[in-house]
Amino acid sequence: MRRRILTLALAALIGFGLAQTLEIAVDQSPAGLDPHIVTAFSSFQIIGQVYDGLLEINADLQLEPALATGYSVSPDGLTYTFDLRDGVTFHNGRPFTAADVVYSYERIIDVETGSPQASRFAIVASVEAIDELTVVFTLAEPYAPFLANLPNLTIVAQEVVEEHDNLQQVMVGTGPFMLAEIVPDTYTLLTANPDYYRAGEPGVAALRYNVVPEASTRAAGLRTGAYHLIPDVDPATAQTLGGVTGITMLGVQELSYSLIGVNTTRPPFDDARVRRALNLAIDRDELVEAVYFGSAAPGGPLSPGLTDWALPVAEYSCYAPDAAAARALLAEAGYPDGIDFEILTLGTLRVVVDAAQVVQAQLADAGFRATVNVEELGTFVQRWRNSDFDAFASLNGGNIDPDGYLDRTFRSGGSTNVFLYSNPAVDTLLTAGQRAVDVSTRQGIYADLQRALACDGPIAHLAYATLFTAHRDEVSGFVQTPTRSLRYLRNVTLN
Amino acid sequence: MTSYVVRRLLDLVFVLFGVSVLIFLMLRMIPGDAVLIMLGANVDITPDRVEALRRSLGLHLPLHEQYWQWLTGVVRGDLGRSIWTGRPVLDEILARLPVTLQLTGLALAAAIVVSFPIGILSASLRGGTADTVVRILAILGLTLPSFWVGVLMLYFASIYLPLWPTIGYVPFADDPGGNLARMVLPVIAVSLPMVAGLSRILRSSLLDVLSLDYIRTGRAKGLARRTLLYKHALRNAMIPVVTVIGVQVGYLLSGVVVIEQVFAIPGIGRLVIGAINERNYPLVQGVILIVTAVFVFVNLLVDLAYAWIDPRVEYA
Repeated sequence: MRRRILTLALAALIGFGLAQTLEIAVDQSPAGLDPHIVTAFSSFQIIGQVYDGLLEINADLQLEPALATGYSVSPDGLTYTFDLRDGVTFHNGRPFTAADVVYSYERIIDVETGSPQASRFAIVASVEAIDELTVVFTLAEPYAPFLANLPNLTIVAQEVVEEHDNLQQVMVGTGPFMLAEIVPDTYTLLTANPDYYRAGEPGVAALRYNVVPEASTRAAGLRTGAYHLIPDVDPATAQTLGGVTGITMLGVQELSYSLIGVNTTRPPFDDARVRRALNLAIDRDELVEAVYFGSAAPGGPLSPGLTDWALPVAEYSCYAPDAAAARALLAEAGYPDGIDFEILTLGTLRVVVDAAQVVQAQLADAGFRATVNVEELGTFVQRWRNSDFDAFASLNGGNIDPDGYLDRTFRSGGSTNVFLYSNPAVDTLLTAGQRAVDVSTRQGIYADLQRALACDGPIAHLAYATLFTAHRDEVSGFVQTPTRSLRYLRNVTLN
Repeated sequence: MTSYVVRRLLDLVFVLFGVSVLIFLMLRMIPGDAVLIMLGANVDITPDRVEALRRSLGLHLPLHEQYWQWLTGVVRGDLGRSIWTGRPVLDEILARLPVTLQLTGLALAAAIVVSFPIGILSASLRGGTADTVVRILAILGLTLPSFWVGVLMLYFASIYLPLWPTIGYVPFADDPGGNLARMVLPVIAVSLPMVAGLSRILRSSLLDVLSLDYIRTGRAKGLARRTLLYKHALRNAMIPVVTVIGVQVGYLLSGVVVIEQVFAIPGIGRLVIGAINERNYPLVQGVILIVTAVFVFVNLLVDLAYAWIDPRVEYA
């Protein structure tokens, strides 16, 4: 009898197309699993299947309900009331309630936890559970980016934290998939959550993240069918895989970008005229062709993917390449014979090394004599963190709210302001952008900020790449997001 | 003989001690701070947090104290814990060592099985077309980097043998067929340079022996060519070959590092590359120590093999 029920259950699973495992090839093992602590992309692409926030970001970069079904904001912009979804359970079977939201918030802001998300919620004065399914956030001051930060408030279960001390090796969330097995350097296996609150999802029985460090090996495995899907395909591999029958290549404008950042406390880049000259000397269209095979867009301080916020690059006077004007500016700044400097880069990021070399060649015409110094991760991070560079080439991540990236990068003393850039006018605008709750007012403020930063700021923004995902034709339903999140793996089915 | 082995094993202790000091200092001489790498481009890095993490990892202590702590642990059989995962270093290594040893062992066996006939053939047909072809191929085999050969084979296999499982690793106990099928390409890629090297050494060593007086005497008294070659010449030609095999095991271990990367095999090589990039000091130290021990041990076996090949060799 029991056997018969099992057989029936299995048949039912197959009937719904659930009995299959989606094989994904990724480049790294997850560097820890605690959603409040980790920063690595290799971790987030797994964590995102297991945990939920109150809200989530969809493929159009809009906020959508997740564990909250709706919210209301008080007229003064200080009180946010969330209605929580009923009938949600954690993977250990316990029902999700407002107390879990309060606990998760408290864990993030606790100094002991050491969460990199803490600063996003520093503006919150209190979080209260009104009843089982209502939670109220009160802010100390109006703060426009608050809602955009909420997807980072991952809801965890207190009893699991207490049992395991931290969440680096264990995952108990409310999401569509549950942790089944981790084999270091080999794979991470997630299985479908049968009690997931979105009916009919997920569409596959399991996800397996196979760790395959070599890009060419991942591509070969996709061709043979060993893997169904590879996220984050580099531009060169995308070129070769694009034409293969049986393989679909998806592309979307990314939020992260390549850049040349400079140290604004060291000559020569302490002079805004030299920074403007640097921008003038770069030919971004040529760079897009040479480095990205055309699969990227030149951009300013905000990604062209943020269509509500980003200014068109035509607005930036320094984006029209002009070596003669750059030379003239250098002469005016006291460098008639040009400038010698070092560009620090990171060897593990192919795109960055390529971009640094193309920029090096372009700059030569304008009198910038750059030496490209390719370092490995450890050295790079140390010199980057200690602002021990003339200039560096790197990739930077974006955020759906303009404040999320601009504030930490350009505010005096900002946490990733390794350029040591300090401009009181910029600081004032950044604060104004946070306090204004009205969208059109904010759009005006961020337009001013982009104009102020594009040519004279500490970063020459180069290009925003197309993010590629490749999958086999038997995979359907995958939606790619500009944030690199793989949340929509829950919609995927295998035919 | 026994006293020789004991003495060599005692030497091993000193070698390991020397290597441990070297690797400990070299790791800390290269730039890059384990704590900063761990925190990465974190949004909220405060000097307090950096200091707290440094303390919790014991990296705030002076170097000699760190070394002493580590060394006393090692003597008790405790290689410390991985900075990133918190798991014991010994567990991390033991989980991957069998994978690497299987790959290395198979590659070594394949190299010997393939290179011997080639070397013998080449020597006995010296100057002929076959010999020339073999010599050219040997040069090619020595010069082609094994990672490149690996990637090429992977590509061709994915196009012409799409059903052949080429990537990754399954434990032999779970699926013997799948395990061996996945070993084929990496083993070829890793053993190729070794096949080339060994067959060349065997060829030249055989040629040296074949020009000696006792061979000429043997030929003069009418011994069959086959008997002369296999029974009288080959054994005497083995000493340099065995020496080279011992040295090659070291190259094999380093070649495997790259090949594991290409074929996504979860072995020691993958572990150590990741650990070096992360400045995961205890993990790197542990791996190097174990690999050194394996290497020294293999060389001891090689030295002992001399006596088996040539009974005139004595150990004093």
